[in-house]
Amino acid sequence: MKKSATHKRIFSISRKEFLHIIHDPRSLIIIIVLPILQLVMFGYALNMEIQNIDLAVIDHSQTSVSRDLIEQFEGSKYFSVFYYDGPIGEIDELFLNRKARLILIIDRDFQRKFQRESGTSVQILVDAADPNAATMIKQYTNGVIMQFNENYNGKLPLTFKVKPRIWYNPDLKSDYFFVPGLVALILVMISALLTSITIAREKEMGTMEQILVSPIKPIEIILGKVLPYIGLAFLDGLLILILGIFMFKVPFIGSYFLLILLSILFIITALSLGLMISTVVQTQQVAMLVALAVTLLPTIMLSGFIFPLKSMPVILQYISYIVPAKYYLIIIRGIMLKGNTLFQLAGQIFFLLLMSLVLLGNAVRKFNINLEK
Amino acid sequence: MRAVRFMLIKEFKQIFRTREMVVIIFGLPLIQLIILGFTITNEVKNVSLIISDRDNSRMSREIVRSFEHTDRFTVIDYATDQERIEDSIQKWEAQVALIIPRGFGEDYERGKHADIQILADGLDGNTAGIALAYAQGILVDFQMPDKIKLHTLNQSSGRPNRIIQMEERMWFNEDLDNAQYMIPGIIAVLITVVSMMLSSINLVREKEIGTLEQLMVTPLKRHELLIGKILPFLILTFVELGIVLIFGQIIFSVQVKGSYLLLASLSFLFLFTTLGLGIFISTITSTQQQAMFVSWFILVFMIMVSGFFIPIDNMPGFMQKLTYLSPMRYYLYIVRDIIQKDASLFYLLKDVIPMTIYGLLIFVASTIKFQKRIS
Repeated sequence: MKKSATHKRIFSISRKEFLHIIHDPRSLIIIIVLPILQLVMFGYALNMEIQNIDLAVIDHSQTSVSRDLIEQFEGSKYFSVFYYDGPIGEIDELFLNRKARLILIIDRDFQRKFQRESGTSVQILVDAADPNAATMIKQYTNGVIMQFNENYNGKLPLTFKVKPRIWYNPDLKSDYFFVPGLVALILVMISALLTSITIAREKEMGTMEQILVSPIKPIEIILGKVLPYIGLAFLDGLLILILGIFMFKVPFIGSYFLLILLSILFIITALSLGLMISTVVQTQQVAMLVALAVTLLPTIMLSGFIFPLKSMPVILQYISYIVPAKYYLIIIRGIMLKGNTLFQLAGQIFFLLLMSLVLLGNAVRKFNINLEK
Repeated sequence: MRAVRFMLIKEFKQIFRTREMVVIIFGLPLIQLIILGFTITNEVKNVSLIISDRDNSRMSREIVRSFEHTDRFTVIDYATDQERIEDSIQKWEAQVALIIPRGFGEDYERGKHADIQILADGLDGNTAGIALAYAQGILVDFQMPDKIKLHTLNQSSGRPNRIIQMEERMWFNEDLDNAQYMIPGIIAVLITVVSMMLSSINLVREKEIGTLEQLMVTPLKRHELLIGKILPFLILTFVELGIVLIFGQIIFSVQVKGSYLLLASLSFLFLFTTLGLGIFISTITSTQQQAMFVSWFILVFMIMVSGFFIPIDNMPGFMQKLTYLSPMRYYLYIVRDIIQKDASLFYLLKDVIPMTIYGLLIFVASTIKFQKRIS
């Protein structure tokens, strides 16, 4: 009898919250449109290859060899070549105007040197304001010059060869990695960010007190509030996953059942984090900013979503151990792309379980303390 | 003007009423600065490597040593067993495996073709590509003494090889330091967050808790009300700008090469856009949560197509055109060029003009909408 009353109360709170969410088209924007937009953007734009790099050529040599070299650049898909004939003292304008990313300067005695000596240099100036792009540009340039050298000398034999074999993703496409990553991001956004804001709203508007004087137990309120978000997060994650699989042909090798099970675990962890935040903040503004700093930013930057953790400073690597998404990313990528089994993921599961227990325990305790005040 | 002053005092009191808000307003930019400054990079380090030296000759041991001595790779295990290698890749323990086959050293000494195998987990396409390039680079370097010999005499023709080398100079950022590029970007994002998100939420808050009506019955004129609401965020934005510049210099030694005055005045121009958007959002929403959602959406969209995360040059053509829609695109160029290249106003005009037009349009339109809304 008592139990069914509990169910009823939780259900009616959930219903109210759910209606509140879906009645407002603006929240649907965030929940449905934004993830799809991100999926499309990341899918088409997250491409580390640069093409049509503007290359300004200053050819003081004007010989057949220098023209050969320039043609080699023109033939590459990476460069779009133009000649610069302005004063040499003003070449920095090319960078300031953003007309060129790269300047190639060929000296007057280039051909003479080239035919007599080995190791004739050509000058390359790179706009290195963006160091990643600059590194890439340098590599492409190097490739063109190596090709040129080979054309003139025949293959330069190396004494041993390297045979690379690439598993799972032979074309090194980035889609395989970011579609599962985006699912993790969405689950965190809905479960941690939205819940913390929702509870903060009740506090700010003073409706929390009203609920508290009613016969509903705190645990019922919490459950009632978060249940719709669990459902939403789950459906939203599923939507993105399916879209990603169809749009970008990301494979799914492992067990669906295992992924669903562990996704629920992750949602619970993220929810606990959201609840934890909501117990310490009083207003929605603060809730949002805290959630931004401790959930979204780490989920994007400190989880391995885009940038590999091992390349980061050690301190940030340590911090990453308390970012739930770090574990979930291994789980979802492992199950989808490598067919990892429950046993292989035991370590990650353990950490997520531990984290949700600690966070949830703390949140409930704090919630009760706040009530007694 | 006195009325505006009182309004300002009220606003600041309200913003800083909770201690958390103070911590956040000053702490958030720092956290963002540190996390983004250190993490966004294409440099790949400490790739986990499993080494399988099945040859164990002098030559193979030397190769293994050169892999041990680079910070590009971290050797996690040595194994000759193929199953162990495959297992460690499947379990995410190793990302790359270096396999030197039996008889490699002997073949090499005899001048026979010898192969080294590299097995990579390609799931993280970018990292795998970079790691493979590093590995190949190490192996090419390893043969360098032989390569130099080849440079002097061509084996088939017997005459000197004709080789050109490139002598590269990296302008504006000789050490290829990533922070120099990221921190100006973080400035643009932070400024937008503070001025657009916070101002819209703050304006809507008055509506939501019903104090906007109270303010309207005070003798404050409508434009004074708006100025009083917006000015605090203008000031806060400049404080945040200062914080990021100071800590950018302390933590990442990012120096502003160009003029501070130019940076400040163009930032002021950009604020017309973001504050205008903040006002606009407040007119189309009625609760803080809605304001948050809408501004969050606009923010993510603007960042995505601004060139902050993904360089504009890397995008496909239609998406490059889309970037012209994002006011942040122009500001991002301006901040980066002033800080990194000491660009003068003349070079920035092609960004300043569209940014100003955007700013004025958005600001005027949204103030008109706001005035109508409250009258």
